[in-house]
Amino acid sequence: MTELLSHLLLGFSTALTLQNLMLCFIGCMVGTLIGVLPGVGPIATIAMLMPLTFKLEPTGALIMLAGIYYGAQYGGSTTAILVNIPGEATAVVTTLDGHQMARQGRAGVALGIAAIGSFIAGSIATLIIAALGVPLTKLALLFGPAEYFSLMVLGLAFAVVLARGSVFKAIGMIIVGLLLATVGTDLETGEERLTFGIQGLADGIDFAVLAMGLFGFAEVLRNLEAPEARDVVKRAIGRLLPSLEDFKRSLWPILRGTGIGGLLGILPGNGAVLGPFASYAVEKKLARDPHRFGTGAIEGVAGPESANNAGAQTSFIPLLTLGIPPNAVMALMVGAMTIHGVIPGPQVISKAPTLFWGMIASMWIGNLMLLIINLPLIGLWVRLLKVPYRLMFPAILVFCCIGIYSINNSPDDVMLTALFGFFGYALYKVGFEPAPLLLGFVLGRLLEEKMRQALVLSHGSFMTFVERPVSALLLAITLIVVVVAMLPAVSQKRDRVFAEQP
Amino acid sequence: MKKRIRSPQDAAAGLLLVVLAGIALWGGAQLSTGSLGQMGPGMLPLGLAVLTGLGGIGLIVASFFVPGLALERWHLRGPLFVLGAAVVFGLTVRPLGLIVAAPAVVVISALASSESRWIETVVFAVVMTVLCVGLFKYLLGLPIPLAPWWIGY
Repeated sequence: MTELLSHLLLGFSTALTLQNLMLCFIGCMVGTLIGVLPGVGPIATIAMLMPLTFKLEPTGALIMLAGIYYGAQYGGSTTAILVNIPGEATAVVTTLDGHQMARQGRAGVALGIAAIGSFIAGSIATLIIAALGVPLTKLALLFGPAEYFSLMVLGLAFAVVLARGSVFKAIGMIIVGLLLATVGTDLETGEERLTFGIQGLADGIDFAVLAMGLFGFAEVLRNLEAPEARDVVKRAIGRLLPSLEDFKRSLWPILRGTGIGGLLGILPGNGAVLGPFASYAVEKKLARDPHRFGTGAIEGVAGPESANNAGAQTSFIPLLTLGIPPNAVMALMVGAMTIHGVIPGPQVISKAPTLFWGMIASMWIGNLMLLIINLPLIGLWVRLLKVPYRLMFPAILVFCCIGIYSINNSPDDVMLTALFGFFGYALYKVGFEPAPLLLGFVLGRLLEEKMRQALVLSHGSFMTFVERPVSALLLAITLIVVVVAMLPAVSQKRDRVFAEQP
Repeated sequence: MKKRIRSPQDAAAGLLLVVLAGIALWGGAQLSTGSLGQMGPGMLPLGLAVLTGLGGIGLIVASFFVPGLALERWHLRGPLFVLGAAVVFGLTVRPLGLIVAAPAVVVISALASSESRWIETVVFAVVMTVLCVGLFKYLLGLPIPLAPWWIGY
């Protein structure tokens, strides 16, 4: 306990310097600014804004990036409530009741409870990370290559389960993602693989390039085709602070949402996506009057928003302790960390304690800032949302191009992003989900490395993965997860959960 | 023949995977696979390419039996101008600098939408360029060329 306190103290003394507070503030601010734009989710936002942090020292850069991330998340909720357009999958649930509240003139209360819920969830999740960080890094030391391999396979299995649509297609996307990850110089022999003689591909495909193509550009293309269906609330925003009655109704949903979201967020394979859905389903089931859900029930905003934020935060745990990015946002964080010379993994805690604990403390500070800066600024966001899309998308594109160019100062990267944008458009047209592909890509290189190491150690026998008990256990869970997902009853339920997504 | 495909979307999806696999197999043909105990650089890429191809064939075969969705219409205008704008940015940013590349992106991408208005677009392009130069070049100091042909950097 005292150890935990001293760690947190170290963190806060790092995060509370004037410079780092400023960086956290700027990060939250621009993150929200970009995240509010309809159709720009956290992935595109972070990829776009990453160059902002290049000149900073590593701790400051990561604090700012974390701020951008939370800002982007909160900006997404704002769009969901005010315009009925979810910036990303996790905000879908918020549109259900949040937008209804906005139509009844209670947009302010919806935004307020979303911010308050997120803050409470964030505070609890910060404590969870601080408490679990050290024990989990010790667990990581027990992991050999075989265990790492099996854990990542489990993560990929979760990604399959959590994807919309056909399980078979989701598996296909993961394999394509793994395949794309093999492009570039082979780690062991130095031979170039699948580069087709293109110089820019020798180091492999940059994750930001792929993500921006699939989620930034392809999203613009999709929005251009969908007829303008923006429904910016015309009614007044109303009071921001929830009444005592509202707060009483929301308190338990917030706490339950935090628990659900936080727990799912720890899972490798983007469990955080499921948090808001699970929380909404639980609240609807527990409610005395489930009919209010979908017509502006405050619990339907408070629970999922808290789950969303808790999951966003606890998904740092696999990254910081095991070095495995559980989702695309965390993979971008890996990219940013690597640029600053920090290799994510169990060694971060011991080798760079100020960075680790500073970042954790800044998560909490970031949440507080969102609460303080966003509530007064809602009027500004509303005005921004009224900018017509015909002006918004060229601006988004300019920022995307500059962002991608700046990551490696490479014009080729911008053109490669355009290529992946078209690829993403094609995937969307034939009913493939890009999210599992991205996760396959994220884990691909590490997966190959660990698999090759494990097989060298076992002299080429695949039995090593089932002979080692921890690895065998992880693979057994993988098998159960996939089989359960394919059971007709479960897959129907899964379809219903995702049917709420437009 | 065409009428017997019951899920055109899945058939197209399968075709896409087969094409991807083909490209990967062609590009990685000369890589050595090695053995399981000592994998060569080609083992995983080629193995995954084969899996991708098999998955694609599976989807195509299944599309003859399992009813599914129709193929959505593909539009050319959006992808052409939006992605074209990014390509033009990539081609112009080094030789001509940001003060050409940024307005080019705005103007070209505006062609993707039928709602765009000319004067508005031009004004917006100028505003965006000034904003980007101020933000990225002066405030953030990113090493992005401004106008090498004019002011030398």
